[in-house]
Amino acid sequence: MRKIIDNVIEAVIFMCGILSIVFVVLIFGFLFKEGFSFFKDFGIIKFITGQFWYPTSDTASFGILPLIIGSVLVTVGACIIAVPIGIMSALYISEIVPKGVRDVLKSLVELMAAIPSIVIGFVGMVTLVPFVRTLFDIPTGLTAFSGSIMLAFMAMPTIVTISEDAIRSVPWQYKEGALALGATEWQTMRRIVLKAAMPGIIAAIMLGIGRVIGETMAVMMITGNSARIPHSIFEPVRTMTAVIASEMGETVSGGIHYRALFAIALVLFIVTFIVNFIADLFLGKNKNK
Amino acid sequence: MVDKIKVKDLSCYYNKKCVLESLSINIAQNEILSIIGPANSGKTTFLRTLNRMNDLDVTYSRTGKVYLVGDNIFDMNMENLRKRIGMLFAMPIPLPVSIYENIIYAPKRLGLISKKSEQDAIVEQALKDASLWNEVKDRLSSSAMKLSGGQQQRLCIARILAINPEVILFDEPCSGLDPISTAKVEESMIELKQRYTIVLVTNNVKQASRVSSRTAFFLMGKLVEIDKTDRLFVSPKEKRTEDYITGRFG
Amino acid sequence: MIKLNPKLSQKLSYTILFLATVLAVVPVVVIIFIIIKNGASAITWEFLTSMPKDGMRGGGILPAILGTLSIVTCAIAITLPIGVCAAIYLSEYAKNNLLTRIVKLAIVNLAGVPSVVYGLFGLAIFVMFLKLGVSIIAGALTLSIMELPVIITTSRSALNSVPYSFREASLSLGVSRWQTVRYIVLPNAIPGILTGAILSISRISGETATILFTAAAFSVPHLPHSVLDQVMTLPYHLYIISTQIPNMPENVIFGTALVLLLMVLTMSFVAIVTRIYFRKRRKW
Repeated sequence: MRKIIDNVIEAVIFMCGILSIVFVVLIFGFLFKEGFSFFKDFGIIKFITGQFWYPTSDTASFGILPLIIGSVLVTVGACIIAVPIGIMSALYISEIVPKGVRDVLKSLVELMAAIPSIVIGFVGMVTLVPFVRTLFDIPTGLTAFSGSIMLAFMAMPTIVTISEDAIRSVPWQYKEGALALGATEWQTMRRIVLKAAMPGIIAAIMLGIGRVIGETMAVMMITGNSARIPHSIFEPVRTMTAVIASEMGETVSGGIHYRALFAIALVLFIVTFIVNFIADLFLGKNKNK
Repeated sequence: MVDKIKVKDLSCYYNKKCVLESLSINIAQNEILSIIGPANSGKTTFLRTLNRMNDLDVTYSRTGKVYLVGDNIFDMNMENLRKRIGMLFAMPIPLPVSIYENIIYAPKRLGLISKKSEQDAIVEQALKDASLWNEVKDRLSSSAMKLSGGQQQRLCIARILAINPEVILFDEPCSGLDPISTAKVEESMIELKQRYTIVLVTNNVKQASRVSSRTAFFLMGKLVEIDKTDRLFVSPKEKRTEDYITGRFG
Repeated sequence: MIKLNPKLSQKLSYTILFLATVLAVVPVVVIIFIIIKNGASAITWEFLTSMPKDGMRGGGILPAILGTLSIVTCAIAITLPIGVCAAIYLSEYAKNNLLTRIVKLAIVNLAGVPSVVYGLFGLAIFVMFLKLGVSIIAGALTLSIMELPVIITTSRSALNSVPYSFREASLSLGVSRWQTVRYIVLPNAIPGILTGAILSISRISGETATILFTAAAFSVPHLPHSVLDQVMTLPYHLYIISTQIPNMPENVIFGTALVLLLMVLTMSFVAIVTRIYFRKRRKW
């Protein structure tokens, strides 16, 4: 009897264990089903390279190039801000400050991750957006630039905590060796510690990018939601995530617009899969050392 | 004497690297067999093969047979085997619960007790047999983690006795203990010999000579010599055995 | 290029690192400060316990609070047992083979899927395909899949923090694998699992994009009756009143944001306190 119960429980545990695979397949399957039928109707090349996103006009056009550019612009902008700041503060937090201060700083950085993106988006909307508008004297503060700043803050916890882990897992013998040879602490940090922690830092950056690409509510509120190809970062853009969130409610289930949004989700799914896969490879590398 | 365990042509490997080579050895009922030898001689691997603890290690593989009174242990159900062949590890590993719970844990899980009233008797008997009862009888409900190292090791012995095995394996049980605690553990080992078959792996040659009836010397994965303890220590047949016994404590 | 003296260069660099850290840390403080400063005046007993009035410009946010609580409760009730079992499988049973590698890859992948994509998936499978409609249960199921990788990861590290020797001791006594997990490993991993679960609750409480098309309603005139009801939720309500409704009194928006923020931060705080409490009590 005991044996039978054990076996049943172990079977349940096994099924829960492989459930993740089932979910990934299901997500891909559902996105692919709708997306594929859309590609058949509209054409995948036209979809990716089309310059116009006019989903509701009489001659509807579903080119997501402006959305891709929007996502890339905002993501690159966020990375340019968040990566250097993130790595520098990770270095500062792990190598320079005493342990007590370190714990406080780390908690503060992690606190940012706890704030819902909708709250960050709202605060950005009422503070950052008008600030950007007056600072650069542009017609609207709802721009890719504002979005990048906000997203940089949101990616910061990921980048800082994972880089900090990587930096701290560098064996102290490495540092001691360099210091013994007369290098200053800073030289050691720059040449030895950063280099040794690089796989972990790259993983941190990748995960940060994944976070930024997938972010929806805050970008939707801050980037101005204009699906035209922008000429500079001081113009409104619309990202792939924002398009799905803002237009899904207006579509007819099963209609071409509905399916087009699934096709965008499919693109996002594949992109984040690749980004996270790379991050995982680098994380594994860090662990094996 | 009746043979309790018969090992036939046993070889063990980690990652295909041989650590124990075609070992054949018989272990008699109610004897204490000591296994001595330097590091990497395969003695611990042998011990962990006997109750199949090594099966947990994915890099481990083996060939050959081991019989426990007629049954090949590699065909037996793992839980039944371990119930019959208990094992004491080098470091004492009390479970993070009370002394009482430590003893009663396995009997409960194995369904050996049906009534709650039997529990107290089992705990008392096991602790007495491991000569720990007098030291802990007034604090059975306090955490086992608070005991001293020697007491913890005897608690682990008591834990094994509570499931009443046929064979007990000791894997360098005193390596972390001071001389007084060691003496106490050895004392209980000799007492246990009356009822159990004991295999003792030890780095301490003197310990082997003190407690065991027979001693086997392992070197680099091979059995070099096995004999009555007094004979092996007084007139070893092999030069290598003599070197090891004298070289270390000469 | 001028070659700086190493000492000076170190001093300069440290100053820059310090400034970077300030930049990384200050925004969160500023955001919390702004919300508390502007939102505190809106928080009254009535605000928390009454229905919205005047096209949401007045009254309270009770339905949104209850909606969020009900979705989050359902979601964690679904995801926690599954996630813990999956973690047990990976930590205690899984062999190092192809299947395990695929499972781990799947978890990494699930963790990276954007929440809006989860929302779309939830719409397709739960709302449409399983015909649950836009409802608490559809939203909760979607959130539970989204949170699964997080629960698995935190539970795994909780399980792995239980010393391996405990398992060995138990197994060596002839106790079966599952009994060892059930009576030795799990009880000692519970604090870590609990901490992870509370952090997950905190995280999904603020989640918007996932429930946008699976559970959330613009406005519901009554409190939720069953799991098949649409509900208002705090994050979605905040989105609506901050972007869709003209002439919305600012302090109501900030007040709503503050309630959401307090809910989320309180739970994070509870999680941290739980962790510290159990660490101190740990017996090994």
